[in-house]
Amino acid sequence: MSSVLFRNVVKNFGALNVLRSLDLAVPDHKFLALLGPSGCGKTTALRILAGLDMPTAGKVFIGERDVTRLQPRDRDIAMVFQSYALYPQMTVAENIGYPLWIRGTPEAGRKAKIGEVAAILEIGHLLDRRPRQLSGGQRQRVALARAIVRDPAAFLMDEPLSNLDARLRLTMRGEIKRLCQRLSATTIYVTHDQVEALTMADLVAVIHGGELQQMAPPIEVYDRPANRFVATFVGNPPMNILPAAPGERGVMIGARIVPLERTRLTACRLAEIVEIGLRPEDCSLAQPGEPGALPGEIYVVEPMGNETLVNVRLEGGNVSVRAGRDFRGAVGESIGVAFDPANACFFNSAGLTAVHRVNSNGRVK
Amino acid sequence: MQGARQARKYRLQGAGLDLALPYLMLAPGLMIVLGVLIYPLWDGLRASTRAYRYGSPISDVGLQNYVRLWSDAQFLNSLWVTVKFVALSVSFEAVLGFALALFCLHEFRGIRLLRTVLIIPMVITPVVVAIVFRLIYASDAGMLTALSEAIGGGEAQILGNPLNAFIGLVVLDVWEWTPLMFLILLAGLQSLPHEPFEAARVDGAGAWRVFADLTFPMMRPVLAVAIVLRTIDAFGTFDQVFVLTRGGPGEATRLVSIYGYDTAFKFQQTGYAAALFVTIGLVVLALAFSAIRLLRRVDAS
Repeated sequence: MSSVLFRNVVKNFGALNVLRSLDLAVPDHKFLALLGPSGCGKTTALRILAGLDMPTAGKVFIGERDVTRLQPRDRDIAMVFQSYALYPQMTVAENIGYPLWIRGTPEAGRKAKIGEVAAILEIGHLLDRRPRQLSGGQRQRVALARAIVRDPAAFLMDEPLSNLDARLRLTMRGEIKRLCQRLSATTIYVTHDQVEALTMADLVAVIHGGELQQMAPPIEVYDRPANRFVATFVGNPPMNILPAAPGERGVMIGARIVPLERTRLTACRLAEIVEIGLRPEDCSLAQPGEPGALPGEIYVVEPMGNETLVNVRLEGGNVSVRAGRDFRGAVGESIGVAFDPANACFFNSAGLTAVHRVNSNGRVK
Repeated sequence: MQGARQARKYRLQGAGLDLALPYLMLAPGLMIVLGVLIYPLWDGLRASTRAYRYGSPISDVGLQNYVRLWSDAQFLNSLWVTVKFVALSVSFEAVLGFALALFCLHEFRGIRLLRTVLIIPMVITPVVVAIVFRLIYASDAGMLTALSEAIGGGEAQILGNPLNAFIGLVVLDVWEWTPLMFLILLAGLQSLPHEPFEAARVDGAGAWRVFADLTFPMMRPVLAVAIVLRTIDAFGTFDQVFVLTRGGPGEATRLVSIYGYDTAFKFQQTGYAAALFVTIGLVVLALAFSAIRLLRRVDAS
């Protein structure tokens, strides 16, 4: 296993600038999720690491080695593709054993290793089948088996779960995580699904518009987003954003003043904040006239079974609130939204987070 | 009562024009097929069981024409020449076509033009191709002779020498029909999924291993179809040989098609020629079927 490093990597496809100067360091044995909306350049970054695309500028290192100009086969990596990319005319066993066979591993060693990884992924009974005789989940397992059959410097995974149905995706999510922890492998995992990134990764790198927005452990990305994009991309439902301005004794949201402690208010004033960000779970519903609560009316009510998502129309925009499962309310009813400003973060006009929430560990309720 | 009458009315409407319409629409096509395909086939089969004199049938001879074929040394020789010709041409065309298709899969400047140029031989009328090749091969004023004389040799004897004439015919066929192979195989290559090839590169395969382990196995069905198509077509080669050598010198390039033509129109043995062509038709049919069966087996395994 090795660390992975991107240094000032730029990629243009003709006039299209896909990656603008990506810097990324993945420590050894870590699971990094490259997270971003489609077209943000995350898959391009992975393909550059794999050697399937050449960067326009910049360097890529695996361990201490500069691999920028090396062929994929000289990089000592294994990759799992979105479409699994199994070899259609080979059996499952031949598919799994191919990386070993191509490296001249003797048959006995190859067989043992195939049996071993097939057992790990519970596909031992499928070894004589061909890919087309397998279900999507089974193909996924074969693709994983083919990747882990060697002991490469890094595992690359390109949205490996996106072709599976929702239920299977949940199962495989857990299994891949377990597998990677068990192998303690350096893994780069590309996904557009923020839940996958948060649940599986040690580190999440959020990419947008070909640029790294933030790289941090999942909890930190969730609690201390570096900017407005990360704040709204990570989390479901996304963080609520309302226009806000620093006032005399607190932050002004519309005509209301939300009291804020002295040091944070000063920081807000200095940064000239323009927006406040609130996670849905940090808001609560209140009686319409309750002091400190923002008045609004119910816009949508979505019972989820374990909780109810209530969308409330406020003066500055709509806000999602996580309410209890027994919440009852009709659309159009007046209601109030209360929150503790210690849990709020504030964005300046450039969209950067100027003031974070008070405590990233314990939430203030 | 009212309801029953209503139901009958609907049924009658359904049973009228609505039901007949599909057959009416099929009718013209069916007539054409019957007229130009089924009737000639049946007429040919009937002719193959008759003896002819001066172009008219004089007697029914049953299967005698078919039996005679297998003791006719000229027919057996023409069959042998045809098999050699088909086997040689089609294998050269397959190898060359595959190589060209692999080459043209890469994107580079001028690739579109190259792909188009490579198709040209196929779209030229076969007779014209044969005339051009006769101009190349002619021993007195041909291009090969000119070339040979320019480097100090004598006249190039192509069409006068049995072996050279046969090779010349194969070269002509390869030149004309490699593009078809190329076209089919290029389409096949372009339809292959990308990811397995990328996976193989990551897994450590070099260019040759990618070809041997992925490209070729994945292309096998397409290759088989292309070869079957070309084989069937090559069995019927006629115009090029007719223009180039008329089967000569001697019987060196006399394919079954030429021999059958001679039998029917030079020697006026219409019944015998019909039997010959029916036999060849059956041979080609058997070849095609076995090739398709083979294909299915490869597919199923």
